[in-house]
Amino acid sequence: MQNPGTGTRSGGSLAVSCEELSFSYPGAGQAALSKVSFELCPGEYVGVVGPNGGGKSTLVRLLNGLLRPDSGLVRVSDHDPATEPFEVRKHLGVLFQNPENGLVAPFVEDDVAFGLENLGVPRDEMRDRVAQAIRAVGLEGYERREPHTLSGGEKQRVALAGLLAVEPEVLILDEPTSMLDAAGRREVLERLEALRAEKSVLHVTHHLDELLNADRILVLNGGELVADETPGRVLSDPELLRENRLVLPVVPRLALALGLPANLKTPEQLAEAILTRTGSETRTG
Amino acid sequence: MTSLGQFYPVASPVHGLDPRAKIVATAVLVAGLFLVDSTVGLLFVAVTLMILVALSRIPIRNFLRLLRPVLFIVALTVAFQVFFSREGAIVIEWGFLEVHTGGLWLALFLALRILLLVSAAGLLTATTAPVALADGIEDLLSPLKRVGFPAHEVAMMMTIALRFIPTLGEEAEKIKGAQAARGADFSEGGPLRRARSLVPVLVPLTVGAFRRADELAEAMESRGYRGGEGRTRYRELRFRRKDALALSVTVFILLVGVLL
Amino acid sequence: MNLELRDVHHVYAAGTPFAVEALRGVSLGVEPGEVLGIIGGTGSGKSTLVRHMNLLLVPSSGGVLVDSVDATTLKKSELRRRVGLVFQFPEAALFAPSVEEDVAFAPSRLGLDEEEVEERVRESLRVLGAEDLATRSPFALSGGEKRRVAIAGVLAMGPEVLILDEPTAGLDPATRERLLALIRHLRDAGISVVIVSHDLDEVAEVADRVCALHDGRVRAIGTPAEVFYGNPELAPATVRVASLLKASRPELGDPVRFDETLAALKALPGK
Repeated sequence: MQNPGTGTRSGGSLAVSCEELSFSYPGAGQAALSKVSFELCPGEYVGVVGPNGGGKSTLVRLLNGLLRPDSGLVRVSDHDPATEPFEVRKHLGVLFQNPENGLVAPFVEDDVAFGLENLGVPRDEMRDRVAQAIRAVGLEGYERREPHTLSGGEKQRVALAGLLAVEPEVLILDEPTSMLDAAGRREVLERLEALRAEKSVLHVTHHLDELLNADRILVLNGGELVADETPGRVLSDPELLRENRLVLPVVPRLALALGLPANLKTPEQLAEAILTRTGSETRTG
Repeated sequence: MTSLGQFYPVASPVHGLDPRAKIVATAVLVAGLFLVDSTVGLLFVAVTLMILVALSRIPIRNFLRLLRPVLFIVALTVAFQVFFSREGAIVIEWGFLEVHTGGLWLALFLALRILLLVSAAGLLTATTAPVALADGIEDLLSPLKRVGFPAHEVAMMMTIALRFIPTLGEEAEKIKGAQAARGADFSEGGPLRRARSLVPVLVPLTVGAFRRADELAEAMESRGYRGGEGRTRYRELRFRRKDALALSVTVFILLVGVLL
Repeated sequence: MNLELRDVHHVYAAGTPFAVEALRGVSLGVEPGEVLGIIGGTGSGKSTLVRHMNLLLVPSSGGVLVDSVDATTLKKSELRRRVGLVFQFPEAALFAPSVEEDVAFAPSRLGLDEEEVEERVRESLRVLGAEDLATRSPFALSGGEKRRVAIAGVLAMGPEVLILDEPTAGLDPATRERLLALIRHLRDAGISVVIVSHDLDEVAEVADRVCALHDGRVRAIGTPAEVFYGNPELAPATVRVASLLKASRPELGDPVRFDETLAALKALPGK
C-alpha cells in the first residue's frame, strides 16, 4: 500500500521493523527491552500496551533515534534511527504525552513551523504547509495564540499539526491523551482517527478503549513482547489482561461478564446485543 | 508575553518599524547621549523623544510608569547637585545650605540625561514585541557567528524563555497554592524567614523546570532540531525605507543635539 | 464537619476588562462521611469551586460555612488543616530531600511534638501503601509513587474533609484502581472526600452524591442515579447501557456502579 509523503518510498516495504531489539539503561539491573521483534506495515494501526516500566517509552525512543539499541535491528522507512536519526525524523513523527513540554515557540503557527525550519524548507513553502497542517487539526484562527492560553486538547492538536507539517509516513503516539480531560481526549482522538487512512500508526496507551479499532495490539511487559494479537483476542483473554495489568473499558468488560463477545465497543452496541439475546428489539430514544 | 509588562500592543508607526532598526537606533541614541554636553541639546532631544512617544500611541501614564524605577536616582542626583554644587551665583541661602545657579543647571542636565536614557530603552521595549526583539537581536548578532559566537543558540534560548515565562508563572502560582493548602505561610516573619518559606516553592519549581527542559529537548530533537545549521526561518524581518528613514532621523537628532 | 457553600459567586480579575465570572451562585454542602463527586467540563468552575472550600479563594459574594460558622472568621491554618486540598498533579509540589520529610511538612506546622508528627507520617504513608518509600528522594519516584506521596502529605494533617482535584489524572489503570479503593477506605473511616473528576465512570464507582457544574452554576445535584439518569449527556457507560434497555426492561432499575449494573443485567430473563 502506497503512502503519500516526502522521500522516496516504495510501496510494500515495511513502515517499521524491529528484530531482536534489546536495550538496557546504564546502571539498571534489568533490561528495559529484551529481544523485541515486530513489524508495522504501511497503513496499519497498531497499539502498544503494558504496565509502566514495561518498555513502551523505551521502544518509542529507540524508534526515533533518541536512544541507541544495545543489540538488534531497527528500521523506520528503510532507515536506521541509530545511524541516520535526522533522516528517520523526516519520516517519523512522535506525539508525546505532556502537551505543555512539546511546544517550543511563543505562537502556534511558529511552533507548527518548527519542524519545517529544522528541515531547511524554504519560507514560501513553509507558509502553505503550516496553514494546511493547522487546518488538518481544526485550529484555523489560532495562528497567533500563545501556548499558555490553550487547553490541553488544543495544545496536543498544535503538537500534532507540527508533526503533520513535516508529512511523515509514520506516526508514533506516546500516551497522547493521558494528561487530557474528557473533552481534550475526544478532540485529539477525532483528529487521529481521521489520519488512519494516510499514515502508519503506533499508538502507545493505557486506555484500551482507544485501541478497539486497531489492527493489532502489542503487549510489552518487563521489556518483553508477550503478545502481538488482534484487539478481539487480547480483550477476550482474561489471563493476558491480568498478567499485564490491563484494564478493560466498561462496555467490553460488561459484555464479557455477560458472556457476549468483547468486540462490543459502545453502549448502543451492547444494549443491542443484550436485547437480541433476550429476544426483543431496541426502541430508539 | 503580554504578562511581561513593558510591551504595549497597539498599532502605531513606531510599532511598525523593523526591530533591528529600533535596536540600532536605541543603541546609537544611548551612546550618543553621552556626547551631548549642553542642557539645551538635551532638551532638544527630549522634545523629539516626546514626539516619538506621542507617535507610538502609548498612553502617557503607561510610559511614565517605565520611568518609575529611576526616579529615586534622579531625585538623589538632583538633590546632590542642587545643594552641594558651588558653581555660579547664589540663588537661595538657608543656613549652611546654598543653592547656586550652576547647581541648578547641572541638576537639570544630569536628570535629563538619566531620564532620556531610560526613556529611549523604555520606548524600545514598549513598542517592540518580545519575539520581535529576539528576532532583531538574532539577526544583528548573526554576523558574529563567523567568529564563533553562538548567535542562533542565544536566539533560541530567548524564544524558549519567552514561550515558557507565562507557563512557569502559572506553575509557581499553583505550587504556592499547594503549599499554602499544606499550611505554608509566605507572609509571616522577617526577610530571612520569608526567604526560607519560599524553599517549598523554589525547589519544586526548579526541579520541574529541569524536567521540562529535558522533555522539551527530546521533543525538539524528535522534530529534527540539530542546531542552527541548515535551518530556515518562518518569521520574516523586512528592512524597509521607513526603517532606514527612522535610523537617519535618529542620527540627525543626535547630531543637532551635540552641536547645540 | 458540615461544610457549606451558600450562593457563592467568584469573579476573577474583577474590575478589569478581563473580568471572568467563574462561579455564578453555587450552593452545596459536603456531608460528614460521604464521597461527593464534582463533575463538569473544562470551564465549568470545578477547580475554582473547590479552592473556596479551604478559602484559597475567597467568594466575591456569598459565604463559606464550616459547622454553620463563617469560614472567613476562622484561623486560616486551622481551616486548611481541617479541609485538606490536593491539587491536580500534586507531585509538582514535592520538594523535600526525602519522602518522610516532605510528608512531615504539613503536620510539623500544627504545633505537635516530634513523635506525633512521625506517627502521622508513618500512618499516612501506610494508608497510601507507600511506607517503603519513606527514605527515598521524592524526585526519584515513578509517577504513581509521587502521586501517593503527595496525597499522603495532605492526609498527614488529619483533615476531616479531603478534596482531591482530578486525583487519577495521568495514572495507569492499576494505580487508578488503588486510589479509588483508598477513597472508599477513607470514607469508611469517617473522612468526607470531595473528588473532582472529568471521568464519569470513575465518579460512578465511588461517589455517594454527585454535583454537576456547568458554566459556573450547579446543573444537578443528588444521588448518582438521580444525576446520571436525569441528565443523559452526563451519564457514564453503565448508565448509558441501562438507559437504553430500560424502555423495554423497566425492571432493570437504576444501577450506577459496575457490579450493580452487571447484576441487574444478568438478572434479565433471556435465552
